[in-house]
Amino acid sequence: MSTRQSDSTGEFDERDDEKLFRDRIRENPRPAMVWLAGLAFLLLLEIGRVFAGIGQAFGIVGFVVEILAGIPVSVGDNVAGTLGGAAGFVATAVTAVLMAFALTVPVSPSLPDSAVDILGLDLSRRGTRWAKRVELTFVLVAAAGLVAYTPVGGAFSALIGAITGGVDALTASLPSITSRDLIPNTGHRLPEGGWEGTFLGLSPAVAWAIRTGLVFAYAVTFIVWLWRGFNVYRTHYRAADWTPRDDTVRRFRNNYWGLFGFAIVFLFVVLALWAPAVSPVEAQHNIYEPNAHEFEYLTENGEVTSTTHVFANLQSRSDGQNTVGLMSYDDYDRWAPLGTTNRGQDMMTHLSYGARTSLTIGITAIGLGALIAVVLSLVSSYYKGVTDIATVMASDTIQAVPALLLIMLVSVVFQEADHPIAQPLDGGLLLALIFAFAYWPGMWRSIRGPSLQVSEQEWVDAAKSYGQTPLQTMRKHMAPYIAGYILIYGSLLIGGVIISTAALTFLGLGINPPTPEWGRLIDGGQSYVSTDSWHVATVPGIAIVLVVIAFNALGDAIRDAIDPEADVDESEAAATGGGA
Amino acid sequence: MSRWEYFAKRLLLTIPVLFSVLTFLFIMLRAGPIDPVAARLGPQAGAADREAIRERLGLNDPLWEQYVDFITDFLTFNFGQSWVVQAERDILDIAVSAAPATLWLGAWAILLPLFIGIPLGFYAGLNPNTLGDYTASLGGIVWQALPNFWLSVMALALLRRTREGGELLGINWYTLGPDFAARDISITGTPRLEWFSTTDVLMLPVPYISDWTALAIDIKLILPPALILGSASMAAELRIGRTAMLETVNSKFVETAKAKGLSNRVIVWKHIFRNALIPLLPVITSEAFLLIGGSVIVEQIFNINGLGRIFFQSLTQGDLPMAGALLFIFTVIILGLNILQDFLYTVIDPRVGYDQ
Repeated sequence: MSTRQSDSTGEFDERDDEKLFRDRIRENPRPAMVWLAGLAFLLLLEIGRVFAGIGQAFGIVGFVVEILAGIPVSVGDNVAGTLGGAAGFVATAVTAVLMAFALTVPVSPSLPDSAVDILGLDLSRRGTRWAKRVELTFVLVAAAGLVAYTPVGGAFSALIGAITGGVDALTASLPSITSRDLIPNTGHRLPEGGWEGTFLGLSPAVAWAIRTGLVFAYAVTFIVWLWRGFNVYRTHYRAADWTPRDDTVRRFRNNYWGLFGFAIVFLFVVLALWAPAVSPVEAQHNIYEPNAHEFEYLTENGEVTSTTHVFANLQSRSDGQNTVGLMSYDDYDRWAPLGTTNRGQDMMTHLSYGARTSLTIGITAIGLGALIAVVLSLVSSYYKGVTDIATVMASDTIQAVPALLLIMLVSVVFQEADHPIAQPLDGGLLLALIFAFAYWPGMWRSIRGPSLQVSEQEWVDAAKSYGQTPLQTMRKHMAPYIAGYILIYGSLLIGGVIISTAALTFLGLGINPPTPEWGRLIDGGQSYVSTDSWHVATVPGIAIVLVVIAFNALGDAIRDAIDPEADVDESEAAATGGGA
Repeated sequence: MSRWEYFAKRLLLTIPVLFSVLTFLFIMLRAGPIDPVAARLGPQAGAADREAIRERLGLNDPLWEQYVDFITDFLTFNFGQSWVVQAERDILDIAVSAAPATLWLGAWAILLPLFIGIPLGFYAGLNPNTLGDYTASLGGIVWQALPNFWLSVMALALLRRTREGGELLGINWYTLGPDFAARDISITGTPRLEWFSTTDVLMLPVPYISDWTALAIDIKLILPPALILGSASMAAELRIGRTAMLETVNSKFVETAKAKGLSNRVIVWKHIFRNALIPLLPVITSEAFLLIGGSVIVEQIFNINGLGRIFFQSLTQGDLPMAGALLFIFTVIILGLNILQDFLYTVIDPRVGYDQ
């Protein structure tokens, strides 16, 4: 056990399993170094994309901070509207302080106690805890006040801007082996035959196949390397020869249905993460701003001329009369491995960016919903009584309303009002938040039994009587036992979220154009299913079916791997997607 | 705690849930991000119009008064009138006239999976690890993952195709059964439900089927959407039926029955079948949830003027009060079904207790 305290057992009789993880690495650094070097090399190959990811993460964090920072003022404005300016100011201040305090509760235990000792107060343990939180709140509010109301704020945002600008600049300049610059596949025919502007003069189809193959080869190498890292840890650095987790992994490895699910989910995730590399044309050129981007092609008369994407798209629609089918070129020398959509855009680009949209929404919704469910289940099973009843009431209320209809109504209300939360991803973020809101009761209900059982265990009593704070008791002694359940339900529900997102977009209530989404493709192609343009609605439909089957298989396999005896009722989880 | 106490507790808990649903709806429709006046009139309306509407909607009253009015209105099913979808018509009136089509669809969507999913599941459970079992199980998995909306689009395209000679398994859907091509009616649309009349038996009106052709037409209209709407439940019934069958087959009392020398037929029908049905009951009752959610999509694609389609129209056309009212009606239905389910459990299965 790596977490065991070594000081209590004494220094002289030190057995192998008493040592900390750090010490074991120090003693035998070679395997770890080799593995880390390999990882660094792999990351270096794709350094451009790594930085792009970091830049995006910055953007997301910035957005969340901005929304949170806006809450006190908007609350204050609302109050000021009914009760007058002074009350508004008070409301702003109170909200800010409350939010800062909520932030300090999970953070304060990791701070040293000495911070409180400066004041020289003689406090009980409980008192110290509260003093620390209050102190931290004070610091946070002061800092926030400085940023919001003094010139420091300008300097602060300038600093943030400089950092994000730096990351963006790095992203633009750093290379990666799957980049479009290295293996370009957009070019045009030459009058004398052959291609201009593509990788090594190969045809766009071949160049695209090479780049896509490289993406998948890279992704597979990466995951194999991660697996190797786990093995290195297991053979060289883990104190115990065997842990129950080994059995979990072994059971998962022998479950072929689960491995099938894992493979498809892996494909889907790679498609989403490497969407810019997998798509044959740049989404920015082809979908988002087709007006602003020109490209060259060879006309029938044998001249090379240039045109905009918007015009070329108009001519290459798959709408029954014209069709750019699977594995073909349109009239403008653009390679379309999955054909074009009913609006002439590239289907493969749509599919990969749509995977990105679906994955973002699915992970955000399930992650947030699972977080709410876990926190509430811990709190309600630890405190019981009123907290429990309040949670039952809240979840009963949400579950009494048909989920899909609830999601539709809330989505329409926010979109009609043009609420700022409906802006990111053209409504995708809003949808994810609504899904989290609608789905947490189901997850909470499914982990309620296990968490009630855990809260009755003797070790929880022991932790309490040792004077552990409620937060620590929940985090260290209860949460690990329900983590497995939430994993199972999460992966079973994510398929439901993907189906529902597609269904809402199909109906025109979900994600608005131009953000690509699979449901919109099906909507666009629904009139052409029995024509030559059958692929428009069929391809994304098959993609949805595969991904949903895969997530269900993965969830089943995780359940069997974690606990083969587990009696997890999956009908509820599966039901949520079934309505769509 | 006795079973009836538990039931009473569940019943009592419904009341606060109803109130919090209403509060949620109030917040969404009145106090939420959307301005009811702008939603009613559009952004370009003049100030006088806006003020008139504000007064009419009671938006100038204090918030708590609006809240009390809202709740009393909804609880007495006094929803007011539709704004846009069927302007100036009573919302309750619209809902009542749209309900039969949805009920017809829902009834078939429950019946069809019952008679397909359960037998298939039982068959798979009786013959585990055979080719038939694998086919049925895999079919169930795929069937469950198929999104209803995509399935509807594809099914409709295939059925429409049969008209131009592109026959599906040698079937022309238009001429199969009641001939739609000759009558020149679409294969999608609202069932008219005019095939029964009532006759007085001992002063009581008793319905009987007066027009068999009309009935056949209505069934043919509803079959594809009902099959699709019930697809998820069918897959769930198949899987749970299979597990229940497997568990029952391997249980002690079946062994005893075998030892008694009962014939296979008697064992399967009398001992296995009935016991395997128990775990399927909650699946069947919880289907209402799926049906209400899915009816929006299926009704929209198959052009059925039911509750789901009207809900969708009221959302897309900005008729928010109607959408809210319909959502409330759906909620009341679901709460009622939950109570019914609890009641049935209390009566049927003595094992259900508070700890579940």
